[in-house]
Amino acid sequence: MTVESVVFYLFATLTLVGAIGVITMRNAVQAVLCLVLTFFSAAVLWMLLEAEFLAVTLVLVYVGAVMVLFLFVVMMLDVDYASLKAGYTKYLPLGIITALALFGGIYWVIRSEVFGVEQMPEPAKHGADYSNVTELGRLLYTDYFFAFEVAGVILLVAIVAAISLTFRGRRDRRGQSVPMQHQASKEERLRVVSMESGPRQDGQEKTEKKKRIRRKKGGGS
Amino acid sequence: MSKLKHFFKSFTLRDLLTGLRITGKHLWRRKVTIQFPEEQTPQSPRFRGLHALRRYPNGEERCIGCKLCEAVCPAAAITIDAGPRQSDGTRRTTRYEIDMFKCIYCGFCEESCPVDSIVETRVMDYHFEKRGDHILTKAQLLAIGDKYEEQIAEDRRQDAKYR
Amino acid sequence: MLDMIIDFFVIGAKIGLILLPLILAVAYTTYAERKIIGYMQMRLGPNRVGPKGWLQPIADVIKLLMKEVVVPSGSNKALFLLAPILFIAPSFAAWAVIPFDVELALANSDVGLLYILAMTSIAVYGVIIAGWASNSKYALLGSLRSASQIISYEIAMGFALVGVLMASGSMNLGEIVKAQDGGLLHWFWIPLLPLLVIYWVSGVAETNRAPFDLPEGESEIVAGFHVEYAGISFALFFLAEYANMILISVLTTLFFFGGWLNPFQGIPFVEEVTGWIPGIAWLLLKAGFFLFLMIWLRATFPRYRYDQIMRLGWKVFIPVTVVWLMILTFMIKAGVGPWFTGRGVL
Repeated sequence: MTVESVVFYLFATLTLVGAIGVITMRNAVQAVLCLVLTFFSAAVLWMLLEAEFLAVTLVLVYVGAVMVLFLFVVMMLDVDYASLKAGYTKYLPLGIITALALFGGIYWVIRSEVFGVEQMPEPAKHGADYSNVTELGRLLYTDYFFAFEVAGVILLVAIVAAISLTFRGRRDRRGQSVPMQHQASKEERLRVVSMESGPRQDGQEKTEKKKRIRRKKGGGS
Repeated sequence: MSKLKHFFKSFTLRDLLTGLRITGKHLWRRKVTIQFPEEQTPQSPRFRGLHALRRYPNGEERCIGCKLCEAVCPAAAITIDAGPRQSDGTRRTTRYEIDMFKCIYCGFCEESCPVDSIVETRVMDYHFEKRGDHILTKAQLLAIGDKYEEQIAEDRRQDAKYR
Repeated sequence: MLDMIIDFFVIGAKIGLILLPLILAVAYTTYAERKIIGYMQMRLGPNRVGPKGWLQPIADVIKLLMKEVVVPSGSNKALFLLAPILFIAPSFAAWAVIPFDVELALANSDVGLLYILAMTSIAVYGVIIAGWASNSKYALLGSLRSASQIISYEIAMGFALVGVLMASGSMNLGEIVKAQDGGLLHWFWIPLLPLLVIYWVSGVAETNRAPFDLPEGESEIVAGFHVEYAGISFALFFLAEYANMILISVLTTLFFFGGWLNPFQGIPFVEEVTGWIPGIAWLLLKAGFFLFLMIWLRATFPRYRYDQIMRLGWKVFIPVTVVWLMILTFMIKAGVGPWFTGRGVL
């Protein structure tokens, strides 16, 4: 037993627990959090496979960004659980058949004779100076350069499309215009008028000038 | 043109740096905190703190139960029951209570009193330890008056020419 | 088996060596903050507990530990208690990849920078869950504000870090510092000055510090996402916030101010005189300055309005970073010295 194997079994268990939690939790928010746990522990497993970059990217992108938005959607939803459960028994047999068929299919494809430990060669051990990040970068920007750039362009198109779909044009809002506020300057709003001090309104003459109150410097109270 | 100038000027963060300079300067200024129990600010003779009921020098309580203070109190903090005293039949209060949670220390009771009975002393650091303690009874108020009579009388003397 | 136990013990001891001073630093950051803000407002700050108030943070800790943890009715109890842990765990975990000196880091990872970004982005869960599980309007509003703020500013922060990546050519924090070797003028703060400012301000925004403390906004939504928390569970939020402050300060030092490097490097006489000072001291000194700056900012600026925060993040910071990334590309291509000499090949 090494530290790695302890970590592996710990996080493999967590991955399974999280995955089971996703489909069994009654509360949607808790289910999403279970999904987050699954992603996170999967990322740790990847890290054990020396896929540091992928692991951290999984956490950064899925846990840090996608699931947060997901969580928001779920939190704001008002789900009527009773109506969701209405057809449960009616569709149960069909569901079980589908599940069994799917499981059988998957098992047929990746059963242990095909994907078992014997069939898979142990990945090459790398030295301490091996950098997963450098390797990935080299591959992405040489062999897969075109695909990488196309993926980038597709994402850009998606962003533009999402904005153009949700942008409903100018509404006549009464909100503040921040650029206007920023350009406001002292010169255009404040006018310092120098007034000539005449005799007082009540006829009395000014006896003495008001002493300017000056703070004495230094010393305690 | 001025807009363009303003645009580029905004990147220098000049406004923010000006603000930081001011607070930075104040870091080295003389501190004005008063270390309360050891140091105290000077009080005016008109200071309005804890209430008290006064007596005449001969020991007779001043209050005649006119209820002017009860009437004028904007917070309705004063409750008075009055009636003739058994021994000599003079009109006196049988109950005189001030709810210190209601009191806003406006000093109207003091101003309205025709015999200078209810006054506000300079005491401003006091507390209550039990529920119900915040209602000061007549006996308590008289006791406060007895305790601080010298100070109260001196303050009234100083203020006399302005009244 | 014995090896494994020893391994665990060694790792645990290393973690303890980072975390215990960190927690102590957090305690005294709160003290420093109250003292400095007090001084800037011409007050004295805490000065009753112990000489000059030195024991104030200890007293605060004891007070918070002894208070009852109140779980509001109608809240989701498990998540309510989990939220502070989810908030504090990433802010501690991020310290794993921080290099304190040339070879002094818990994990010398090649994805250190991404790891830091990942950890800071996980912390948002603590905030969201705290807001949602509290079953309170103010808490939910606070957590919504916090989450949108963190997500918005993370983009600007990420772009600023892309500049650091380009300049240093590595995601390993130790390598980033080594790329700045050569004295004060060789550090990245000069070629990356706009990115430095943006990274710093985004960092302040990410830690929900004034003037970006809308998630707490005590004048409008009481205390935001941690309004329902008391005692030790509140203390965890507090601890995490200050640990994040220190983290951002240290990171700014590492990315832009040469980490553990001696600022007098290359100056003939002064370099030898200051040569004995260990790298970690320089790191902490520089980080301390940024921590002070953070407190200074809080004492100076009023809170942003919400639309201004969003405008600043999306319409100012992101365009500016993108423009500066282009300029940086040209600078590296041209091999502008002393930062990019010999890297002109790109």
